[in-house]
Amino acid sequence: MFKNFKKYRAPYLFILPFFILFIVFQLVPTIWTVYISLTKWRGIGTPEFVGFENYWKMVIDDMFWESLLNTAIYWISGLILILFLAVLIASLLNSKCLKGRAFFKTATFLPNICAAIAMGLIFRMLFDENVGLVNEVLAAVGLDKVPWLAGTKYSKIPVILLIVWRNTPWFTMIVLSGLLNISADYYEAATVDGANGWQKFLFITLPSISNILFFCSVTLTVDMWKIFNEPYILPGPGTSNTSLFQYMYESGFNVFNMGYASAIGVIIMVMLTVVSVAQFLVRKRQGEVA
Amino acid sequence: MDYRKKQRTASLAIHLLLGLIVLVCLFPILWMSLIAFKDTKESLTGFRSLWVENPTLDNFKRLFQLIPVWQNTFNSVFTTVMGTVTSLFFCALAGFAFSKYRFPGRNFLFYFIIATMLVPAEVGAVPLFIIMKKLNLVNSLWSLIIPKIATAIGIFYMNQYISDVPDELIEAAKIDGCSDFGIFARVVVPIIKPALASWGAVTLISRWNDFFWPLLYLRKQSKYTLIVTISLLPISEGLSTPWPVILAGTTLVTIPIIALYLILERFQKGGSFAGAVKG
Amino acid sequence: MRSKNLVALGLAVALCLTGCGGGTKTAETTGAGAETTGQAAPESKAETESPSSEAKVYPAGTVTFYMNGNPQFRQQYFETWLENHRDVAPEVSVEFVQVESNADAREKITMTALSGAVEDLPDAVFLDRLNLMDLVQAGLLVDETEFLTPLAEKMVDGALTEGMVSGKMYGLPDSVRPQLLMYNKEIFDKYEIDPASMDTIDGYIEAGRQLKEKSGGETYLSWIGSNNMTWKCWGRRGLMPQANAKVWDEEGNVIIGSDEGTKLALGALDTMYSEGLLMRVEMYDPALYDAINSQKIATFDIGAYWDEFMRQNCQATAGQWRVMSAPAFKEVGKAGAPVSSYMCIVEKGEDSVYKELIEQMWYDFTFDTESRQAWVNSMEEQNAPYTNPISLEMLEDDFWKEPSDYYGGQSFREWEGLTLQNGANNMIVTAQDAEGDEIISAEIEKYVAGDQTMEEAIANMDKNLKAKIGKAEIVD
Repeated sequence: MFKNFKKYRAPYLFILPFFILFIVFQLVPTIWTVYISLTKWRGIGTPEFVGFENYWKMVIDDMFWESLLNTAIYWISGLILILFLAVLIASLLNSKCLKGRAFFKTATFLPNICAAIAMGLIFRMLFDENVGLVNEVLAAVGLDKVPWLAGTKYSKIPVILLIVWRNTPWFTMIVLSGLLNISADYYEAATVDGANGWQKFLFITLPSISNILFFCSVTLTVDMWKIFNEPYILPGPGTSNTSLFQYMYESGFNVFNMGYASAIGVIIMVMLTVVSVAQFLVRKRQGEVA
Repeated sequence: MDYRKKQRTASLAIHLLLGLIVLVCLFPILWMSLIAFKDTKESLTGFRSLWVENPTLDNFKRLFQLIPVWQNTFNSVFTTVMGTVTSLFFCALAGFAFSKYRFPGRNFLFYFIIATMLVPAEVGAVPLFIIMKKLNLVNSLWSLIIPKIATAIGIFYMNQYISDVPDELIEAAKIDGCSDFGIFARVVVPIIKPALASWGAVTLISRWNDFFWPLLYLRKQSKYTLIVTISLLPISEGLSTPWPVILAGTTLVTIPIIALYLILERFQKGGSFAGAVKG
Repeated sequence: MRSKNLVALGLAVALCLTGCGGGTKTAETTGAGAETTGQAAPESKAETESPSSEAKVYPAGTVTFYMNGNPQFRQQYFETWLENHRDVAPEVSVEFVQVESNADAREKITMTALSGAVEDLPDAVFLDRLNLMDLVQAGLLVDETEFLTPLAEKMVDGALTEGMVSGKMYGLPDSVRPQLLMYNKEIFDKYEIDPASMDTIDGYIEAGRQLKEKSGGETYLSWIGSNNMTWKCWGRRGLMPQANAKVWDEEGNVIIGSDEGTKLALGALDTMYSEGLLMRVEMYDPALYDAINSQKIATFDIGAYWDEFMRQNCQATAGQWRVMSAPAFKEVGKAGAPVSSYMCIVEKGEDSVYKELIEQMWYDFTFDTESRQAWVNSMEEQNAPYTNPISLEMLEDDFWKEPSDYYGGQSFREWEGLTLQNGANNMIVTAQDAEGDEIISAEIEKYVAGDQTMEEAIANMDKNLKAKIGKAEIVD
């Protein structure tokens, strides 16, 4: 054992920092959080052990269910829209006849650089019910003004648009790197066989980047389940825009139900694990079929 | 003839579509910067918001009165640069270990690292604060740097990049008597420079925009990062700062990071993301 | 490569900073301005009057305050004060940390105390009743009863009330600001409506109807929004206390669903909104300021703090605004409830070396006429916020009756004092009110969004408060 260790000392040493940090800054706090979730605690004094009370409270809490549903909506719509747009923009950036590729690449990446809070303020002004630019444009072409953030019906749309606007560029870059890796030979062969552009995309491009798309969907899932800034800066009436993560934060730091907040945190972790494992299973099945 | 015509239409369509996308991408940023130069008496709503009648620097002046911009910028630059440099180093090192060594438990440990991404650290904010205190890191900029010097996703990326480095190069260096760390520093790092630049850009952006952790760990105005002080302008209760001043702040926090990104982009050779993700 | 990178970095930083170079000069000038103010203020006499004045010299260090809003400006007063008191505090400096809200300050303090980092606690913090109560229960605030009792009669009525927990005083009163009615006189003149008719809620609503009719729907009586500011401004601080409404009974049971006062208060809001007298627009958004500037909104039944927001953002209507007492319900006859803010000294055990120094600084800020006026003048110059004093003697001074241009020559300062009279009592604050407010506000917001009627909203508040909180702990 020791001999073995000596032989592999270098790689173990190289990966050691991660595991130390993981234990101190992730594992210990997580276990601690699971414990707090079983207590009643206002952040002051000693936590009082109450078993699963916080979890039962969740069952009858409408706000919890609404934020869970909202988060799921952000996740699904983000996943679909971002992946679709990323593939579309990456394909456009990859087309042979494009001039000024460097400019387009940089310009389409810039939204990813901007802070969510800053851009949230701008989106709030854009989607203002009375005098926002979006409604002014709608009015100018003869449509009715939409109560974007003022009503519960449309209030999630600005949030989703902000999420898509900020996150798409990053995934575009990843998809683009995948497209660049596809050998031109495949396309040439397909052209000889008389395939049209759509068929080439469907039978060559998509299968070649399926691994990348899978990777993107897993990272996006993690990002979406801990979404906070966008709904925080673009609130709708009541909890109509609140994300689960935001509800956890507010329960802990505004209302000071530390136990309840921790229980929500545990649920987020459970949901993330379930959703991710499901993704892996689907992927595995696909892989077997293909 | 018909084929070429079709080609030209396609090309036109592609340029138009991309132009539209670029417009959508840039408009909010440009609009924000524009309002930053508006007089506080000018309207910020409707179509009238799209031009500036009397461009002024007053909003920036006001901002400098309200917050210690220089000190906060220094804090931001310090955490961003230190955070990026340390993160690149440790992630590349771990990625190197995973891609070029066959050691017992390698696969398990690698998947374990990937799995840790599923546990958001933010969930344990309260215990984390207590741990930070025990480590004497509260009110220290290092509290923002140390927990993230080796991240799961960074190691994953670096592993993918470094796999592409030919094994022969490493074997040759070993025969020359290079130490393990020597191989990393002298053989691997020079080859993956473009990868470091692109991952560096990503890290830079996320560190600069980090809002949650500094707000939690830092309790002194002189220790706040720029994004924290600027974000407090619109969300602090009872703060009556006019909107053009707030947007001058958000512009001030956005422009430097865009400039930094543009500079780093020059080091990323074409298609440097290639090979980053092979799934 | 690395050096190139560094150069690039340096360049980027330099680039973005030179763009704003102009700003620093102003900052310096302001600093100098504040110092001049300091010199203008003569050696404070209050030092000898101050109850806690011993020839004590404080050790070197920093006095730290947590405050939301605009702490930079309060810092100027204390900095000047320290400059003038180098004999007692030769090497003491002051630092104000800006926090997001009172709840944020409370969170930071409890978390710091919890982690055992006593030396990292601030020396004092600005709080409202809810968070003050919480920190008192945690044993984190210093009991100031002994210091404050002899001063009680020198302060405006009720200054101490909200800072008391179980008969002890924990808050050094910082400000007591009334609920008042601001109206745009030009609009009322234009449509020939007598503003005096707005002394009752009925008259107020009637004025709104006339405005709507005569302007053809262009001008609204006031605003309403679909975020939590509606409950804060119209509800908890406005109509609810005015109607003597209750969320909890004396034992802490939920009674909002059957309370007559609640029906009266929220019913009035419902009347105004359903008749189209209120413009739906979010508080503090550019759209609201825009509506004010284009004379679309005629009145605000709101806390006095709104003055500062108007002056900062609505200069287009300067000179058109006037102030009067908030309208009262005939049934109750009270104007709105004042909002109090307190400066509380944090319990730091043996680290509390600056307790008496803070008391002394607070004393001068509250009772020393000359230095306070100098500071207010400097605030006016910088277009910065300040509040009315709470010292009765100071309020007598003509300085606090000076006319304000923004109010067409009417003295806002004087009216802030006048509208304090006949104020309603604040609603009882319980330890559960942070959560309670969230529950209540959510229902109001859905009402404003048009998802439910006001009756349904009130019923849902009652239901959800009972389900999620059950019984509140009443603290007196």
